[in-house]
Amino acid sequence: MSKELTYWLALAHVPKVKTKKKNEIIVQLFEQGKSVINFFESEYSVWEDRYQLNKSEVELFIDAKKELSNYAFMVEDLLEQGYNILPITSQDYSPTLKKNLGRTYAPPVIYTKGNLQIMKEKSVAIVGSRKANDNSLEFTDNVAKNASKDYKVVVSGFAKGVDKQALDSALKYKGQSIIVLPQGIATFQSGFKKYYKQIIDGDVLVLSTFYPKAPWSVQLAMARNPIIYGLASEIYVAESSEKGGTWSGVMDGLRKGRMIYVRKPNPREKNANNILISKGGKAVDIAGNLTTYEIQDEIKSIVSEPDLNNTEEKIIEFLKTGVFPAKKIVDTLKIDWSSRKVSDFLKNRKDILTVKGKPLRFAHKDRSIQKQKTLFD
Amino acid sequence: MNRQEAEIRLKNTFGFDHFYDEQWETIDLLFQGKRVLLIEKTGFGKSLCFQFPATQFQGLTVIFSPLIALMRDQVKGLNEKGIKAKCINSEQTSEENSQTIQDALNGKLKILYIAPERQENQEWIEATRRMNLSMIVIDEAHTISVWGHDFRPAFRRIINLVKLLPENLPVLATTATATKRVQEDIERQISGNIQTIRGELIRENFQLYVIKVQSEDEKLLWLAENLPELEGNGLIYTGTRVNTEIYSRWFEYLGIGTTEYNAGLDSDSRKEIENGLMNNEWKAVVSTNALGMGIDKSDIRFIIHTQIPASPIHYYQEIGRAGRDGKPTKLILFYNSTKDENGIEEDFKLPKAFIDGGRPSIKNYNKVINVLKQEQLGERQIMKATNLKQTQVRVIKADLIEQGIVKEVIYGRSKKYEYQFNAPELNTKAFDELREQKLTELSSMIEYVNTGNSRMKFLCDYLGDKSHNHYQNCDNTTLEPFTLNSQQTTIQKLQDFRESYFPELIVESKYSNIVNGVASSYYGVSSVGAALHRSKYENGGDFPDFLLKLTLKAFRKKYGQEKFDFIFYVPPTESGDLVKNFAEKLSQVLKIPISHKLIKTGETQPQKVFKNGYLKKENVAQKFSYSEPNELVGKSVILFDDIFDSGATIKEIGNVLTKFGVTKIAPLVIARTVGGDI
Repeated sequence: MSKELTYWLALAHVPKVKTKKKNEIIVQLFEQGKSVINFFESEYSVWEDRYQLNKSEVELFIDAKKELSNYAFMVEDLLEQGYNILPITSQDYSPTLKKNLGRTYAPPVIYTKGNLQIMKEKSVAIVGSRKANDNSLEFTDNVAKNASKDYKVVVSGFAKGVDKQALDSALKYKGQSIIVLPQGIATFQSGFKKYYKQIIDGDVLVLSTFYPKAPWSVQLAMARNPIIYGLASEIYVAESSEKGGTWSGVMDGLRKGRMIYVRKPNPREKNANNILISKGGKAVDIAGNLTTYEIQDEIKSIVSEPDLNNTEEKIIEFLKTGVFPAKKIVDTLKIDWSSRKVSDFLKNRKDILTVKGKPLRFAHKDRSIQKQKTLFD
Repeated sequence: MNRQEAEIRLKNTFGFDHFYDEQWETIDLLFQGKRVLLIEKTGFGKSLCFQFPATQFQGLTVIFSPLIALMRDQVKGLNEKGIKAKCINSEQTSEENSQTIQDALNGKLKILYIAPERQENQEWIEATRRMNLSMIVIDEAHTISVWGHDFRPAFRRIINLVKLLPENLPVLATTATATKRVQEDIERQISGNIQTIRGELIRENFQLYVIKVQSEDEKLLWLAENLPELEGNGLIYTGTRVNTEIYSRWFEYLGIGTTEYNAGLDSDSRKEIENGLMNNEWKAVVSTNALGMGIDKSDIRFIIHTQIPASPIHYYQEIGRAGRDGKPTKLILFYNSTKDENGIEEDFKLPKAFIDGGRPSIKNYNKVINVLKQEQLGERQIMKATNLKQTQVRVIKADLIEQGIVKEVIYGRSKKYEYQFNAPELNTKAFDELREQKLTELSSMIEYVNTGNSRMKFLCDYLGDKSHNHYQNCDNTTLEPFTLNSQQTTIQKLQDFRESYFPELIVESKYSNIVNGVASSYYGVSSVGAALHRSKYENGGDFPDFLLKLTLKAFRKKYGQEKFDFIFYVPPTESGDLVKNFAEKLSQVLKIPISHKLIKTGETQPQKVFKNGYLKKENVAQKFSYSEPNELVGKSVILFDDIFDSGATIKEIGNVLTKFGVTKIAPLVIARTVGGDI
């Protein structure tokens, strides 16, 4: 495997090529049982024909190929210093991240240090402002405490305020934590010193998706937010203003159909939490529990009788038989819903998985999980 | 490029008409982007196999070499041919190294020589992200194998690198000495369809001799009478640093022009000696085996070993440096076969001790593991936390890294060692296997000493060269053996030398008025150590008078009739008044007043408790003062102590006295230990 890593880095860090394009190459290789080395060693015409690279992309990959020996030096250095390099095809790559971000956004390579098993556990992201108020910090502490009690991993972004509280609380309650870096993994000197004991005891995993030597920057801090969301099975928002990283991260998450819990603020608090709730976030109280209104809503859906005449139930039952796009569902069930309506309905269902790609496809969680035949489904 | 075209270019650039077949075979494979292991004897022309292709490739060729001297020579040679080559190593300033890296980045170089340790350097690693690389070469490739005779942990990283390099990037590994086992190990490590080319190892101009002696003195005597008679210039390898000093003083005493060389010298002195060797300034350079590897001197006419090397491979490698011009060359090996009370031959003991002491105890491994489980530490911090010697810490570190238990992590300019999550248990089986292997190799070396057949055939067989040559040229075949038959006058000279030879104490520094001092003897090499031990630790009473005589003699030899104002002595930690009483006797005889005012201001532990220099230095720092400093201004004093080890105490007192205005501090001790750490 290690020889492939050189090629993986070259692929992952080709500039100006979208993640989706890179993942499509990877999916093809995966399905053909080929390695990333085969891709780089192919004729350029194969890049164009089979992998659908356009002329400028071919140029970019030619440049990347020239840098392979440079990447070899970098991989050697990273491995030597105890960093893990995990391509998306690796068994150790976070399944949660892959599932949540899909082929459009899942980074082809992630860099980590620490206990890889942490990525396989259920996880809770707690996000919020760097200048959070006391309510938010208390909320964060509560959520981290509950998570740790339930053996869930706390994912946070290593910024001040909520992020810091989330990490400290998780460790205080003897839980495990993932630190998602807003920088390359090889530039986290002070953090590795500070969390040395937790890392070697297996309680902390440090993770970065960026070029290993990249220093902190605003852009990377913003780009990191979707990774935090992607790594989490549940997302809790302690505090958000109407702009900035937390806001755009939550909006992005809602757009992608993620279930996001937002702390219901006190009337006097000045933040945008209520707006997020109005946009689809689920309101929770300071202890992290669903507020009464939300609970009734949930119960209602749980207690309602299955009724196959009901269009919604028909769709759900149908999805237990396979993975389908909305159009296929409409056509097969001959229902009078638009494809758009089906999509919107399914995206908000907790029991339905959304499979990224064009068109979007949907699957029921109860569907027996078969042996992985494709990388993302 | 076909051979004909290549040879035209060869002529233009290097001035040679053609390649040897095996050279061309290698070069041709490299042109095809293949990986090659080339095993050829010294003098075959291995360098050309990478130098020539390097000049033809578009980008840079990087050569990892553990031999700084060789780098320097080859770079010089290449530059003279107009080929742009430079090297990066620890003997150059960091500015020079940085400039070289810049040149490599800017495409101004074709060939870059670099020490494998540099793979740990961040400036270099940063630069490798942007270099246009065409080929990687691993010189002295036997050093990548633990089964080789000179394993270097730094090469582990180079091997990891090679495994990651893209296919089609040519890789060449070269060595002059590899047994079949080492060859297979290198092939396995470099992997990726490596092709091996192996040549013959016979050196027809070599004249091999073994001289069995019954004492250390017999070696000195034989050399006194025969060294001047040997043709040309050469090297004398002694087993230890101390012996480079003793042999060198002996030749000096006899008026034979030699100089000493060991890894303890600073790099300027080493360069100077290497240059002097090239220019035949001395009959011989007396050295540990640190010298000579890779030195491009074709007419080394003899190499004499006063101790046996660790194996026949070591021996072949070390003598391989001689006689590269093909002219007759003498290779002489001494072996003291006197048996001690346990029936063990004297000269078996030193290499055996290296094997026994080569690996620290498991307890010490666990000490290091345990401190690293608590926090990330640098090397010096590990030494402080564990009270282990630097040499031991280094061995342990390398093994722990090798086994994936610990990683060396670089943060900015500092190197830290980190225990790894889920690290495996320490595997001690690997250590035992290596030890067994080394003992087997050592007994093969003894076989070489005792063999009655052709010595060159013995070496070639051992190294896996099975070709059928006509082997001769040794004291078992066609040559007359050397005999021992010393004249009485030489024996007398040796006795005189023994009585007038006193080890120096190197303590001078820029900020202190202390001068280099003198000891009356080495601690372990004579009866002096035993006498000191009896007095200090077995209630043997005052130091005996013969030590006083010897110490006075050392004093006169070093300081002559120089006047001193006081004798000071180091205030004791635990052995009562022994040092004070002895100093009083010295004072009486030398008629220099003794002062008792040098005092301790704080508790110290006996220095021997501490195993490394950092802790010794810390133990005595700020612990001394003088009760009437006013009387010290402008004075010249003798500073006496019984044993000199790391020198930390003497140096510390030197600093204190310098501050009080003493203009000269002259150290005098009874014995100096051998192999003081750091």
